[in-house]
Amino acid sequence: MRNPITQLTGQQGLTPVTTIIALLALASLYAIPCFVESPYALHIMILLFLSTIMGEGWNIIGGYAGQYSVGHAAYFGAGAYGTLILLNMKGIPPWYGVWAGIGAAVILSLIIGNICFRLRGPYFVLASIAVAEIVRLTVLNIPSITNGAEGILLSDLPPFKIGERVITDFISKVPFYYIGLTLAVFTILVTWLIQNSKLGYYFQAIREDQDAAHSLGINLNFYKNVALAISASLTSLAGAFYAIYVKFIDPTTVLPLDLSVQIVLIAIIGGIGTIFGPVIGALVLVPLSEALRSNVIAQSLINSGLVKEDSGMGVFLKEHLAHAHVLIYGILVVVVILFMPDGVLGFIKKLAARRKRGDA
Amino acid sequence: MTFSVLLQALISGILIGGVYALIGIGLTIIFGVMRVINFAHGDLMMVGMYLTYFLFTLAGIDPFVSIAITIPLMFLFGGILQKVFINRILGTLPQNQILLTIGLGLIMSNAMMLAFTSDYKILTTSYSSSSINLGGISISQPLTVSFVITAVITVFLYWFLMKTDTGQAIRATAQDREAAQLMGINVKWMSILAFGIGSSLAGTAGALISPTYYIFPQVGSAFTLKAFVITVLGGMGSIVGATLGGIIIGIVESVGAVTISSDWKDVLVFTIFLLVLLIKPSGLMGKSRM
Repeated sequence: MRNPITQLTGQQGLTPVTTIIALLALASLYAIPCFVESPYALHIMILLFLSTIMGEGWNIIGGYAGQYSVGHAAYFGAGAYGTLILLNMKGIPPWYGVWAGIGAAVILSLIIGNICFRLRGPYFVLASIAVAEIVRLTVLNIPSITNGAEGILLSDLPPFKIGERVITDFISKVPFYYIGLTLAVFTILVTWLIQNSKLGYYFQAIREDQDAAHSLGINLNFYKNVALAISASLTSLAGAFYAIYVKFIDPTTVLPLDLSVQIVLIAIIGGIGTIFGPVIGALVLVPLSEALRSNVIAQSLINSGLVKEDSGMGVFLKEHLAHAHVLIYGILVVVVILFMPDGVLGFIKKLAARRKRGDA
Repeated sequence: MTFSVLLQALISGILIGGVYALIGIGLTIIFGVMRVINFAHGDLMMVGMYLTYFLFTLAGIDPFVSIAITIPLMFLFGGILQKVFINRILGTLPQNQILLTIGLGLIMSNAMMLAFTSDYKILTTSYSSSSINLGGISISQPLTVSFVITAVITVFLYWFLMKTDTGQAIRATAQDREAAQLMGINVKWMSILAFGIGSSLAGTAGALISPTYYIFPQVGSAFTLKAFVITVLGGMGSIVGATLGGIIIGIVESVGAVTISSDWKDVLVFTIFLLVLLIKPSGLMGKSRM
């Protein structure tokens, strides 16, 4: 029997075919490092996984429960700082330290939730920004613990051992690839489980109509807090992964408002409230902003002969385009909001539905 | 701490609060007429700062004189933004409106960075660091001039909104869009006007602080946040509230910096913001709208 919500949202359950395709795709993703050796290609894939984790994390509270938090950098930062502080000060390996980071994020989310969930709509958005800014400024102003504006540099990452056997020493990008992929698969799995559980229906009921959900006996505050706590722990996981991968964190890279906005945009551009929306968002955003950042676009414009390298325009593009990779986020979000309010995934679905109708 | 230090902080707080009020009034007019929270407000102000900077360095026009050029240009810019982008999302989900304005803000700040790099620019006038000495209390001269200009603009705006037909039409649209439309008011035109006024106020605020502040593409987001704090404190949609809110936040920042520490003054501001949201979300002047 199909349940009413999947009918409403057009989401289908797992059929044998989709299961097989998904498993094949997964297997090939796990096999990629055996064939691809370019560190840059692996780096891009790792960024994709990182964005996916962040986007899926936000999607739980923003997409499913409909509470637009624009303060998720706070949880990202909690994961990053929790893990690195323990590693640098106490020598606790990150695979234990990350739990402290997640714990910190969950506690923070409960505090934030209890303050902000009394507010609705735009007021909730503003409050979530304010709390995240308070967190950022606090981290900045307690240098005895967080090293303040200087940030924390991870000097050495202990090798991962099981018993006496060294599994990996984290020298190459390959172990990070596998960690990132596994975490991304894990967050997608969590999202899938939530969407297909009672919890997911409660969240969506709250999103669609808070008052109606309340009158049906759904404890609004409790379930919003649950959604935020899950969302915060996934986001802090991304933060911890970022910290051990990049090996340097400071308040301007892991706690700024810009990061909160980027996290939201991953989900929005892909399509919120869907399992694969954030994946699509990451697939759109990461390659585009990396292409700008690494000057691929400027170089290819020059190579194609459209712009002469030594002309004023060529020099200008090469010098400046790399600094403006966030511009693409701005343009994409404006285009998506104006022309594809359901995100890229929703837009594709609509196109497909239209074609189907055309065929019939 | 001596009394004079406190008094000095109080006075400079009021002076900078005047500029904050201008930013807040712009945001509140836009919210009042369109129910859109403009997350690009600080970036509009940043555009005003750059305009002022280039008018000064390229044409040698004094920042306080150049607002005569900045105001109409920013009005036009805001009006176009409203017509092309904001107008399309009126009445849709508030989240989408927020994201659209965030996107527009990102485009503005990053386009600026693309054009002029992210280097800090400093506009140094002959009076940038000069001050007036009043019985042991020194008052920044550019801040005093900007406060006077702010006061003049605010009074003019009041007169415009209260006494002229167009002003009354804007207020009517803010009170009830549909009823205003039924009364024959062109609400679309009022929205363009409101956004134009809002962005020219933001641009003016940018022009007024440019002699005393660093100019860089990302300067906007800090002021966007400040604008929210001011308008929520005063009550969304209330001009009197935004004026009060601006001056209160100016005082809190400047007195907080000398009594607590300048590192924590923003934490103080955001804490007040949260408290207002929780205790009295309608703000100081929440009931009376515009």
